Amino acid sequence: MEEGFLQLKGVTFRHKVSSPEPFRPWKKRLGPGVFEVSLSLHKGEILGLVGPNGAGKTTLLRTISGILPIQSGQFLQGDVEQSQPLAATDLRSLVGHMPEQVRWQGQQTVHDALMELAEMRGATEKRVNNLLKLVGLSERHDTSLSGLSQGMRQRLTLAASLLGSPKYLMLDEPLNGLDPVAATAFVNLLHQLKEKGVSIVISSHQVEGLQAITDRIALMHRGQMLACGTIESIAKSLDLQTKINVSGEGPAPDLSWCEAIDSKVEVDASTWSVQLLDDGTTTMEMFLEKGIGIKAWTPQHPGIVEMLCAATGMNIEEVGLDIASPSLLPHRRVGGEEE
Amino acid sequence: MKDRQRIFALARRVFNGRFRSTRMYIMLPILILFIPGMAWGFSDPDIILPGGHQPDSPMEVLFYASLGVVFGATMCAVLLAFDGVSKDRASGVFELRLAQPMPRHHQALALLFGTWQAIFVPVAVLIGLSVVLIRYRLGEWAAFGDVMVHLGATALILYWYVVFTLLASSRTKDQGTAIAFGIGMWFLFTFLWALVTTMVAYASGVAIGEQNDAQWVALEGAFDLLSPNGVYHHLLETRLVEIDRGISDWQSWSMAMVWTVLPTWWFIRRMDELQP
Repeated sequence: MEEGFLQLKGVTFRHKVSSPEPFRPWKKRLGPGVFEVSLSLHKGEILGLVGPNGAGKTTLLRTISGILPIQSGQFLQGDVEQSQPLAATDLRSLVGHMPEQVRWQGQQTVHDALMELAEMRGATEKRVNNLLKLVGLSERHDTSLSGLSQGMRQRLTLAASLLGSPKYLMLDEPLNGLDPVAATAFVNLLHQLKEKGVSIVISSHQVEGLQAITDRIALMHRGQMLACGTIESIAKSLDLQTKINVSGEGPAPDLSWCEAIDSKVEVDASTWSVQLLDDGTTTMEMFLEKGIGIKAWTPQHPGIVEMLCAATGMNIEEVGLDIASPSLLPHRRVGGEEE
Repeated sequence: MKDRQRIFALARRVFNGRFRSTRMYIMLPILILFIPGMAWGFSDPDIILPGGHQPDSPMEVLFYASLGVVFGATMCAVLLAFDGVSKDRASGVFELRLAQPMPRHHQALALLFGTWQAIFVPVAVLIGLSVVLIRYRLGEWAAFGDVMVHLGATALILYWYVVFTLLASSRTKDQGTAIAFGIGMWFLFTFLWALVTTMVAYASGVAIGEQNDAQWVALEGAFDLLSPNGVYHHLLETRLVEIDRGISDWQSWSMAMVWTVLPTWWFIRRMDELQP
């Protein structure tokens, strides 16, 4: 894997929000956004962007796509030794951007709508037709935009983001509105693009699906990047352990020794289960030694939600629907250091 | 593809989209009624206008028929352009446009030219038809220079309304506010400007509405330079020697330049800063 294909160094963009004063009703101040984000996107990898609502994921994707002008920091292309700063126009020609939800509407045909964007990117009609075929809309070539279903609109948006063969692809909630078959096909397409060397960043709330397709994840909260790496490395840095679920059938054996090592034991009439918090090596020996027959031994790796909660300081059992405060200060940095 | 070619290619697509839109089919009868309809009416050899005036030259008929442009075509320009930015911004398509490498000021120019063409092309055709109708009714062709000035001035007033409306459209995401901006501006310059002029005249102690009062004529002439409709009529008056409101041709054309360049610059700047 090529090192540091696209690097973000201390990238900051904060939205201007209204802050009227009696004699200056038009006054604005800097509000939420993304703050000093540093990140490297590698060639041919999929990076998942995870964070609660209002964390700054969409803003970050728009910033990388050259849609929002950065207030400080820079984008560099190349490896660590030889990197070139990129202007917004350069970024836009390198990056394909798929917004969260595009409500295509009007009498314009699918083909014409895509051609209009192709014109702006210098893509040919042949490319447009190929993309329509790729996303399964070639049969809808002459359908008006108003006649498209949500899933078809999503496909059209994907085709638009692929115009000009981008090196980087920013996808904001790409699976929204896609049926299960289309979602699977979409994931396959992402893998094909990855094979071709395209670097893909996906922001999605469907964390379980995301975990399966990403090479790395980046945790965001209150406009800041809390952690970025493989799931294992983040789990390790957050001190989250893999749990092991052991279960068996029949009358429960004596499991009091398990409770003594902080394991969670659940017993009912015909089954029993134990959730072990250690790596299981010692416990396995104990099970063998005591001659306890087990039915299943399942390692349970920490999930993205668990990591997010651990990184932000949120309690997984008390997570509500409240939107995170727009303050740019995170609750807690990875490693447990309080701010 | 060169930048200019790309701008024109995109403008052509914008033109096609707007020209073939349902609203254009709705507006076409209005334009036909207002432009050739007025030319037909004012070229009636027996017509007597208020004040006992009788138009006796093709340019004079074109001048009076320009009311059709002021009342009908400018309104259609507003209706055609009011959602030029706001609709795409609200639907998310605008975000896709902003993500394209084509510079934003090029996108702005393409949007301006495409939308302007969509209203100017049918109006120009109808003005051509008006010239034929005037020839039929008065037995005399309008001078080539007169027709060119009439077309040029009409192109400019439609451009001004398109650029103002697109500017208003770029300020809002919801269609209601966008159209309220557009119609409000049209109403101000078409109907309320006379009221503004009258109020200033009253405050300055000038006799209001006295066409023989030199002070009133001069004040009205000067104030018209601050309104697109007024500048439009000043431009048309450059071909009517009998009308003198104290504004010279160079002043009218200079003001037309200002009305063209400033809003265009403002719109381009706005598009450069616009966020999804």
